[in-house]
Amino acid sequence: MTGGLTLPDEIRTVMDNGIPAVVVTCSADGVPNATIISHVHYVDESHIALSFQFFNKTIRNVRENPHACVSLNDLRARTQWILDVQYDHSEAEGPIFDAMDMRIEAIASASGMAGIFKLRAADVYRVKSFKSINKAALSQ
Amino acid sequence: MTGRESDHDLAEQLARRSAEVEVLRRIALDINATLDLDSIYDFVLRTMDDCFGFRHSIILLLEDSDTLRVVASHGYGDQALGGRVAVGVGVVGMVAKRRRLMRVNHLRAQQAYFERIRSQMQAAGRATELGEVVAVPGLADADSQIAIPLVIKDKLIGVFSVESQEPEPFSQRDETLVTIVASQASSAIQNALLFRAVEERRQELAEAHERLQQLNETLEERVRTRTGQLEQANRELRETQAQLVQSSTMASLGTLAAGIAHELNTPMGAIHSNADVERRAVRIIRGIMRDPSMADKLGPQPRLERTLKVLDDINQMTLEAAERVSKIVQSLRSFARLDQPELEWVDLHEGIESTLTLMEHLLKDRIHVVRSYGELPKVLCYASQVNQVFVNVLTNAVQAIDSTGSITITTSHENAGVVIRVSDTGCGIRPEHLDRIFDPGFTTKGVGVGTGLGLSITYRIIENHQGSIQVESEPGRGTTLTLRLPVKSSQ
Repeated sequence: MTGGLTLPDEIRTVMDNGIPAVVVTCSADGVPNATIISHVHYVDESHIALSFQFFNKTIRNVRENPHACVSLNDLRARTQWILDVQYDHSEAEGPIFDAMDMRIEAIASASGMAGIFKLRAADVYRVKSFKSINKAALSQ
Repeated sequence: MTGRESDHDLAEQLARRSAEVEVLRRIALDINATLDLDSIYDFVLRTMDDCFGFRHSIILLLEDSDTLRVVASHGYGDQALGGRVAVGVGVVGMVAKRRRLMRVNHLRAQQAYFERIRSQMQAAGRATELGEVVAVPGLADADSQIAIPLVIKDKLIGVFSVESQEPEPFSQRDETLVTIVASQASSAIQNALLFRAVEERRQELAEAHERLQQLNETLEERVRTRTGQLEQANRELRETQAQLVQSSTMASLGTLAAGIAHELNTPMGAIHSNADVERRAVRIIRGIMRDPSMADKLGPQPRLERTLKVLDDINQMTLEAAERVSKIVQSLRSFARLDQPELEWVDLHEGIESTLTLMEHLLKDRIHVVRSYGELPKVLCYASQVNQVFVNVLTNAVQAIDSTGSITITTSHENAGVVIRVSDTGCGIRPEHLDRIFDPGFTTKGVGVGTGLGLSITYRIIENHQGSIQVESEPGRGTTLTLRLPVKSSQ
């Protein structure tokens, strides 16, 4: 998986931190949908993976329209990262799936939701572009 | 960043890495210096804090295939120690299940996300789909964690975990350090566990050996006791068997004696009657001969007088013989009671006399019997058994006398009982045999003479009548057996 874009290390750190992110999708007829997603997984310098746990509006939209937007929060740096992504493929096994599944199951099992948060697949997206917004600077 | 600052940073990093390498080298050396588990736990957790600043760390070992238990903790006080978590639950449980390292930052934010979803489900009436929230051992407000499986040869033995209340304290470098230390700790813990298992096994074997020895000793004692019981049972069996045989013999003898006495009585009556007729006939003949009218006619009849004298003597002998036969018949009658099993009031003198009469052929002229009878009340007893005692005791006395001698029978009434002493002038009993003469099977009479059961049976009969038997003997001088019987035993 290669591309002309390279995600900076700061974004990888934010993803590794596992702070829930916001994903915005749009249906084929142009209706947007924003939702919180538990985990964004760093795949490589130009790809990320989102967890597919529920067959909800996000999934339906992505299957109709592969373009989406992901918002990540760096709480320490008070920085927001906005990524434009395009759905590439889904993996129901393999290292990416296992890593995401393990993280989700670890926390879900202690929260009494092991049966609810069941990873169906790791949806892999290509990152088309990204930008950062420094909230600290904005608040000044 | 200037080149000078860059050089300075590189120098700092190099110094830090060198220090880490030195710490890791020291850990590798020191961790294997002991096989004591607690020392290993303490060393690992303390070193992780002192050298790398990991303030909160725990070691969990597999308790069984489904559960991890905290065996050591650092930075938690005593609250974490002994805590349990199921394999597959929480970060440490998941690390154990997947056997892969896991580093989690911003744990509270992620937990908050799950809690929000949980609240939404509860609000939507889907609470039944939710499971229980599990309290995992560790910091209640941990915000980051690194957990690594402790694995030896593909076998999971536990999990090592470090936690922090900071959201992002752990770096990739920390992961590497924890991985190296965990690898060292796994080997050391496994070695110590094996050593402990060997020690426990050795201890178990030692205890098992000790128990086995105790069991052996107990077993030997039980065998000895059981053997003694069996020997005693065997002795009693032989006694009972002999007693049964003798009782049966005596009973048969009694039946036979009763029959013989009955058969003898009729001819004895005729003999006695005839003798009396003969005696009176001789008297009549003498009267006729002495009548003056006849005396003149017959004149002196010396031959007739001698004939009448012979008839008188023969008649007297016939009467004495008849008396003797009557006495024997009377004795036989006495023995005819032998098969009577009931308790009855018995004249012991009668029993002694009957026995002596029947043993007359053994006494003959060689043994003189001295009777020193006192006044005896009748005794409530089994007559047949007591007669059996007299037979056994008197037979022993007779057999103890080689050629000629005497047997003295003394009876007396003392306190609430009677005493019968039978003394003989026979060969006596050697002192070393005195303790054994009542043992079943013990005899000094030689093969075919004695069974060794007579005195044993006698002892048992007297004991059954709540009496006692005592023996005094002096080799070459004779033996005295003293029998004591209560007038009325409580049996």
